[in-house]
Amino acid sequence: MKDLLNKADEPTRRQFMQNAARAYLGVHLFPMLGSSIASAAVEGAAKGAKAKHVIYLFMAGGMSHLDTFDPKPKKKDVMGPAVAIPTKADGVEISGYLPKTAEVTDKMCIINSLNSTQGAHEQGSYIMHTSYTQRGTIKHPALGSWVMKLGGRLHPELPGFVAVNTSPEYTSGGFFGAKYSAAPIGRPEQGLQDSHRPDGVSPEDFTRRLSLADKLNTQFHNRYPNTDVKAYEELYREAIALMNSKDLKAFDISGEDSQTRALYGGGNFAQGCLLARRLVEHGVRFVEVQLGGWDTHYDNFTGVEGRCREFDQAYAALLIDLEKRGKLQDTLVVVATEFGRTPEIKAQHNDGRDHHPGAFSCVLAGGGVKGGMKYGETDASGNKVRKDMISVQDFNATIAYALGLPHDLILMSPTKRPFKIADKGAPVTSIFG
Amino acid sequence: MKFLIPFFVVASLVVPVLGQAKTAPKPGDDIEFLRKSALEIDRQIATFYRAKKLSVPELTDDATFLRRAFLVVIGRIPTAEEALAFIEIEDEAKREELVGYLMGSRGYSSHMTNWAFDLLRLRDGRQGSQATNEPYRNWIRKAMDENMPWDDFVTSLVASSGNGWDPETASVGYYTIDRGMPLDNLSNTMRIFLGTRMECAQCHDDPFGKTERKDFYELAAFTNGQYQQNEQHMRPLWREYQDDQRNRAEEYRVAQLFWDRIYGMSLRGGGKGRIELPSDYQYRDGKPGEILGGRTPFGKTVRLSDRKDSDDGREKFADWIVTRTGEQFAAVIANRMWQRIMGKGLYEPVDDYIEAKQTVHPALMSQLAKLMHDLDYDIRAFQHTLMLTRTFQFATNPNASTLEVGDDFHGRKIARLSSEQIWDSLITLSSGDPDKKPVRTADNRIFVGGRPVLVGQMDMIQLSEDVLALDSEAEVRKYFNGFLAMVKSGGGKKGAGSMSMGMAPVRQYGKDSPVRASELPSPAPREHFLYLFGASDREVVDGASKEPNVGQVLSMMNGYVQRQLVENSGAHVYKSLEGAGSDGEKIRRIYLAILNRPPSDKEMGWMKEEIAARGEQGFRNIVASLVMSSEFLFLQ
Repeated sequence: MKDLLNKADEPTRRQFMQNAARAYLGVHLFPMLGSSIASAAVEGAAKGAKAKHVIYLFMAGGMSHLDTFDPKPKKKDVMGPAVAIPTKADGVEISGYLPKTAEVTDKMCIINSLNSTQGAHEQGSYIMHTSYTQRGTIKHPALGSWVMKLGGRLHPELPGFVAVNTSPEYTSGGFFGAKYSAAPIGRPEQGLQDSHRPDGVSPEDFTRRLSLADKLNTQFHNRYPNTDVKAYEELYREAIALMNSKDLKAFDISGEDSQTRALYGGGNFAQGCLLARRLVEHGVRFVEVQLGGWDTHYDNFTGVEGRCREFDQAYAALLIDLEKRGKLQDTLVVVATEFGRTPEIKAQHNDGRDHHPGAFSCVLAGGGVKGGMKYGETDASGNKVRKDMISVQDFNATIAYALGLPHDLILMSPTKRPFKIADKGAPVTSIFG
Repeated sequence: MKFLIPFFVVASLVVPVLGQAKTAPKPGDDIEFLRKSALEIDRQIATFYRAKKLSVPELTDDATFLRRAFLVVIGRIPTAEEALAFIEIEDEAKREELVGYLMGSRGYSSHMTNWAFDLLRLRDGRQGSQATNEPYRNWIRKAMDENMPWDDFVTSLVASSGNGWDPETASVGYYTIDRGMPLDNLSNTMRIFLGTRMECAQCHDDPFGKTERKDFYELAAFTNGQYQQNEQHMRPLWREYQDDQRNRAEEYRVAQLFWDRIYGMSLRGGGKGRIELPSDYQYRDGKPGEILGGRTPFGKTVRLSDRKDSDDGREKFADWIVTRTGEQFAAVIANRMWQRIMGKGLYEPVDDYIEAKQTVHPALMSQLAKLMHDLDYDIRAFQHTLMLTRTFQFATNPNASTLEVGDDFHGRKIARLSSEQIWDSLITLSSGDPDKKPVRTADNRIFVGGRPVLVGQMDMIQLSEDVLALDSEAEVRKYFNGFLAMVKSGGGKKGAGSMSMGMAPVRQYGKDSPVRASELPSPAPREHFLYLFGASDREVVDGASKEPNVGQVLSMMNGYVQRQLVENSGAHVYKSLEGAGSDGEKIRRIYLAILNRPPSDKEMGWMKEEIAARGEQGFRNIVASLVMSSEFLFLQ
């Protein structure tokens, strides 16, 4: 924990400790007071917080809750051709499209009571990733950026936030700046592209190029002291540290044995999950992996079945593999999406389902979360939340809580507006063991 | 290098000539009118400075102007030859001539195409379907090449109907790419063409009181009732093959071709003009299942009957957007074009319209909307006008805009290039003027199971016309069986069909081809340079990003840039050094090619030291360092 804090941003760390002291000791702490009190406060805060890493699996397009984690077997008109199957957790049924997931449900906490205010993809994905409504005047940092900002990096050279197959819009550092945006991975099996000195360029020439570029840049930055220009300068430094890191191999999934690779299965998403596991093992804080194609307005059941085939084996493998390596206890694995889909099946769209932000499902596993449970309920047809409704912000506050990060700490944007990791959200604490 | 002067001059005359094909001369073709309009814009800006007691920014130098104009208008840096020609000409009119050259060049429509693809979310393929958006893509490209007036463009999209393969009606792609989600499509229409945000009202009343859910449904009545032409005749056959796809794989693939790539790409239903309120309608002013007639939410109201279906709702909707929303339609596109040329919109975000009187500069906003209207929505002439202003030539202002919501009119704001601008500039350096390369052509071949069939005998245009005209289930079955037999037998004799004549060879470019981004597959794959630097995934409207990330920097240092340019001895930038007498001249040419300016004395000193230390290898190091520099990545 101490080590974690040492990596955090200096000013943020101080704020964090003050805040932690306020929240958990009920004292007002002045910055000039000694650090012993502050670290005591942090130790206290850390007690409920077991997670150090997050693997955030985002189902882009709006995953049908009804055909995945919140089936309604008694309602034929809602289910269509889908069926529900029993799982390893007593009394928990999930969709028949997820047979392998059913085998690991004892490790999962299925949340069936999410509610979002945003019913369009762009806005829905934005609020899930940032806790705020999309605005024209400010760019909010993504969850992974907040985690880096509040918790700091765990590894000095590897990026704190890596995004596999995602959109830059939703993995941006926002007003925290480019330093906090995700390092992007396009194809997991290629790892972090271009992280080695090009063939045929000697170390001497490589260094000469960088030093020439640096001279030019210093000159340019002096003429244009602009934050965007500056961001590239910082990124060059970061990139070079990364290239020289002995842990660069974290990005190379070819280092995995064939048995492990077979466990995860093929496809971009599966490889992304495997890469995510490697990365957290090497000290990356937050990895997002996206699986797209859930926007099943047209022919929902074929669409969902196909998506589940991509998801099911990889997800189950990820939980099993993390557990085997003793990393499930400090890695929170999140399955999230921007909204659910309507109970109504549209025959004129070849049995399609439309967007449904009113009720949908997400899943948490590992990182101190109790397994084999469901939290919250929808009504008989999965239309509205009937019990324990949680907002998008509550969900994000819960992620912060799992990491022991202060969900109520206010940070100011450069335009002097106050923001929090989960806006006004409050964590659901009862799901932690 | 003086020989290049006529090149610019002649090209500047091309613009007026191009448009004169039709009858009366258009205002957009009259360079005098454009000059006068540019002057009026500058006067507005001058008035603004006086009122705010601000000093007028200086004009930028030639080199900055050159680079800025190239990147803004045609989306790439000039070649070393183009740069040298412009910088060495001593002619007072050279800036205006350069603008004319650029506006008339093919690069202009390439650059506009990227913009239109981002706006319209143009993706080549469709998930879960064999349908392709290729014909629609080509339709958009052609509209940009021919400078289709913006009002005609919007009308052709919103009121489109017919066969998705026919080059005339391929604009139906505007709707068919959003199959199954007509309401999202409608929200996007309002957002991109009128700057009205209605996404929230799809599900609930806008908490800020602007739009109610009922308003949204009344508007949706206009576009309601879209369907695939004659699809019902194919449906039974499609179901049969779908259920039996394992045993009859080839038949199934042909059925899929018909279903997805022919029926699935057609559009009928001109708009019923009425719609049912959804089952979860929650307000007192209507009941679920109640039928609403069409009503437009603002502007001159257009109403449609709630008693009987009409078939021209989308035409009426298009007409309302274009002619009955007051200044709004013209102002939105004028502001978008201002943003393209000047870097910042008069108001931002550009898809959230505010009335002229609420903008920072009401008189200018109104004037621009009027100009757009007076130019008959000729968006090229409009941009040409902006390019002729002194305002465009203002020196760079290093500070961010003092306004969060738009242009503070105080000099050009420094901004990172778009991903497409970076790509197009890099390929200019690696393989010379990309606008001299042939453009991609339509691929209308018939594909069954990924293989082209009946090549030279029949193409998708002909096949789709035949199929869509079939008027009963029996006719579909008969045609299908006949076609299937042809495919199975490998077709008749080559050259027997009427289509064998005049079929151009298909030219398409793979993702790594060194051609304009507008010629490459859309969207760029996720591991592609373009995607890394923030090109839109074209899932959402205007989804491009200029956010820096560590991957971009790695790519510049170790990746694509090194392979294709720095370490590539055949790169154009090295060829342009041939015949240079001295190291100093070579350094100067490298600077002109990459940064489009001569080096300063200090820089010349650094670079000469590099050559002294490393010999020939030093030139590569210089090229690498200039491309990695922020100056290359940013527009001043």
